[in-house]
Amino acid sequence: MNAFLAVLWKDLAIEWRSRDRFAAMLVFSLLVVLVLYFAAPPSLDAAQNGYVPGLLWVAYVFAGVLGMNRAFAAELENDALSALALAPVDRGFLFLGKATASFLILGVVQALTAVFFALAFTLDLWAVAPQLAAIAGLGGLGIACAGTLLSAISVRTRYREVMLPLLLLPLLVPVLLAAVRATTQLLETGSLPWPPIQMLIVADAVYAIVSFLCFEFVLDE
Amino acid sequence: MQRWKQGTSAALVGLGAWWAWAVWHAPLDAVQGVIQKILYVHPPLAFAAYAGFIGAALAGGLFLVRGNERFDRFAAASAEVGVVFCTLMLITGPIWAKGTWGKWWTWDPRLTVTLLLYLAYVAYLLLRSFTEGSERAARFAAVYGILGAALIPLNYYAIELFGSRALHPDNLERGSLGEGMGLPFALGVFATLAAFAFLLVRRFELGELRAARAEQLARVAQREGA
Repeated sequence: MNAFLAVLWKDLAIEWRSRDRFAAMLVFSLLVVLVLYFAAPPSLDAAQNGYVPGLLWVAYVFAGVLGMNRAFAAELENDALSALALAPVDRGFLFLGKATASFLILGVVQALTAVFFALAFTLDLWAVAPQLAAIAGLGGLGIACAGTLLSAISVRTRYREVMLPLLLLPLLVPVLLAAVRATTQLLETGSLPWPPIQMLIVADAVYAIVSFLCFEFVLDE
Repeated sequence: MQRWKQGTSAALVGLGAWWAWAVWHAPLDAVQGVIQKILYVHPPLAFAAYAGFIGAALAGGLFLVRGNERFDRFAAASAEVGVVFCTLMLITGPIWAKGTWGKWWTWDPRLTVTLLLYLAYVAYLLLRSFTEGSERAARFAAVYGILGAALIPLNYYAIELFGSRALHPDNLERGSLGEGMGLPFALGVFATLAAFAFLLVRRFELGELRAARAEQLARVAQREGA
């Protein structure tokens, strides 16, 4: 448990002092929203087009992949990753610390992106902000859990920035599909749709448990 | 050993010829016409592809538990041969779909999950080739293979709930094939699985030879260094 808090505190402190991962993720996700806006026809009425709220997840996923790529990059310097692996604690708790830090950073990026998205597409996201935050949080948790495990793998390969999305995206489909459906239905009905939320919870639990158990095998001494 | 391989290859060619003959003489489907004959190719390819992916995940798990590198070499062989059969399945499927459904592809749960599984195992092969050090590559690949296989039911369930409606028929039940279609289908399954097993064994042997060669070279280098 102490290992969990130590890793979490370390990652958040590094991020607070440099803010480079956060800044990169935020700028990138705003640019993705911009591209999505350009891709939409000029006459688009976002409130009448059911698929538009789901586009928010395109920005979230890209920002998530970018951020997860950096999750272990800093640990490569001075071979800190090996030191982390040598720490005499259960590696599962190291995983929890890293994943929680990524989850929190991603959460802030998601909130700011949602504001920009609402302005760009003139959608009233403010009215459903708490529910949207719940969906974004559940989706972000899935991205952070699977992303942390696969980032620990991809950081040790050649072409690491390329490898992570190839590994991550096929496995993220249940989370993405449920999150997109939940967001779309939330904007249509104004209340939290239960079946996709259930799916998100189940998927998050599977990712968290499998990654917690498998993290043992992906750290090198 | 060499004679054994020649014998098996000859038997496979014979089996393939018998299968082709049976498909040629199978009756035409009353509704779909000649395109229905893909039935004798497409599902058998799917069975072989799934067998390859399941074999890779199981062997990867055994490698993590036992630490024996032969399991890892089996997993690599199984995934690679599985991807080959999956590629063929993904080529034959749309041809059949265009002929009967009128479009090349639908986002049906079964198709989508198969495509995702294919992409995941192509990524698995890339992961293997982009990772330096055989022990590390083995560990990473095993974890990813298990993850990929574990998520199949979840993927399937998610897409069934929130994706589009199913067009792809369910698995064949006994007696659902027309008269005269049973023999070519059974031959197809048998020949494809036999070809799969043959390629799997040959690919596994290749991995063994490569590992032995690498060990031999390492020993020579060590002796010269000493």
